[in-house]
Amino acid sequence: MMSPKKMKYRKAHKGRIHGLATSGNYLAYGSYGMKALQPERITARQIEAARRAITRHIKRQGRLWIRMFPDVPVSTKPLEVRMGSGKGAPEYYVCRVKPGRIIFELDGVPRQIAEEAFTLASAKLPIKTRFVSRD
Amino acid sequence: MANQKTVLAAEARAKAGKGAARAIRRTGNVPAVIYGDNKEPVLISLSEKELTLAMRKKGFYTHLIDLSVDKDQHLVIARDVQVHPVSDRPEHVDFLRVSDKTVISVDVPVRVINEKSCPGLVKGGVLNVVHHEISVYCKATDIPEEFTVDLDGLDVGDNVHVSQLNLPAGVETVQTGDFTVITLVAPSALKSEEDAAAAAEGAEGEAAEGAEGEKAEAAEGEEEAKK
Repeated sequence: MMSPKKMKYRKAHKGRIHGLATSGNYLAYGSYGMKALQPERITARQIEAARRAITRHIKRQGRLWIRMFPDVPVSTKPLEVRMGSGKGAPEYYVCRVKPGRIIFELDGVPRQIAEEAFTLASAKLPIKTRFVSRD
Repeated sequence: MANQKTVLAAEARAKAGKGAARAIRRTGNVPAVIYGDNKEPVLISLSEKELTLAMRKKGFYTHLIDLSVDKDQHLVIARDVQVHPVSDRPEHVDFLRVSDKTVISVDVPVRVINEKSCPGLVKGGVLNVVHHEISVYCKATDIPEEFTVDLDGLDVGDNVHVSQLNLPAGVETVQTGDFTVITLVAPSALKSEEDAAAAAEGAEGEAAEGAEGEKAEAAEGEEEAKK
């Protein structure tokens, strides 16, 4: 799973996702891409599940780019612990995704395979997505 | 050379700015501007439907456009289209006014041919297009339609550089040097097989060390449980 190599601060605020993607909103590498249509925090686990779905469908041909990185730590409190006594321990990492963001790019496979792969991957993500291409 | 011309019709618009532009978009039109050729810029608006159809055709950014604004005719080229990040609907267009003498930089698309007769791709290699478009300086009236890359005879690990493309006379690249246009790389399946083989060799040596480490971890766990 993707996670930062080092962090400046161990814990982060929850934050809110406002507005549309102003960067990373066009195809930069591949011929096909998956565009996020909703704002959401996507976990490293979800990214990995989507990546596996794509890689397995394209039978490890072609080339895949992941255009998001889970760099926001999310903390949780242990079970059966009362509220208070400070913030919990970092548990997992998420990526804040804004609508319009290209989250995956793919190249080196036929269009139909790319569409099918992104449909499978989209089922692993908590957001609606759209297939985009250079054509 | 791209001699095809697209024909578009537009209307002049009086006001610039956010409010006026939004009012135009609400009527199903797209605000745009024509500038360049040492003349005053002209604010225009054109039909979103016509513009979208023109944009879907190949070569929208490399073909000259005959743009009629009310009674005036402008020979222009599309320089930039701002699109909505989610819906991809055009929000504003920049047109550059050109003449026969105008030299411009333009991004010409790269087209790959003979993929089926490429030994590298038949083996399972992946075509990595480093530059989907190449920026070139050329006359506005002599813009190349596309640059063709022939994959015939290329194997995994081979590259095609810009010097191998045979650029037409009067066309030179914006980026200096002999940069790479496409590469044929080994697929992740091939790479991972090699990695797995290397890892298997390494793992044999580390197996004994790993077993010792597991024992130590188990012992630590038991101690914690006792406490």
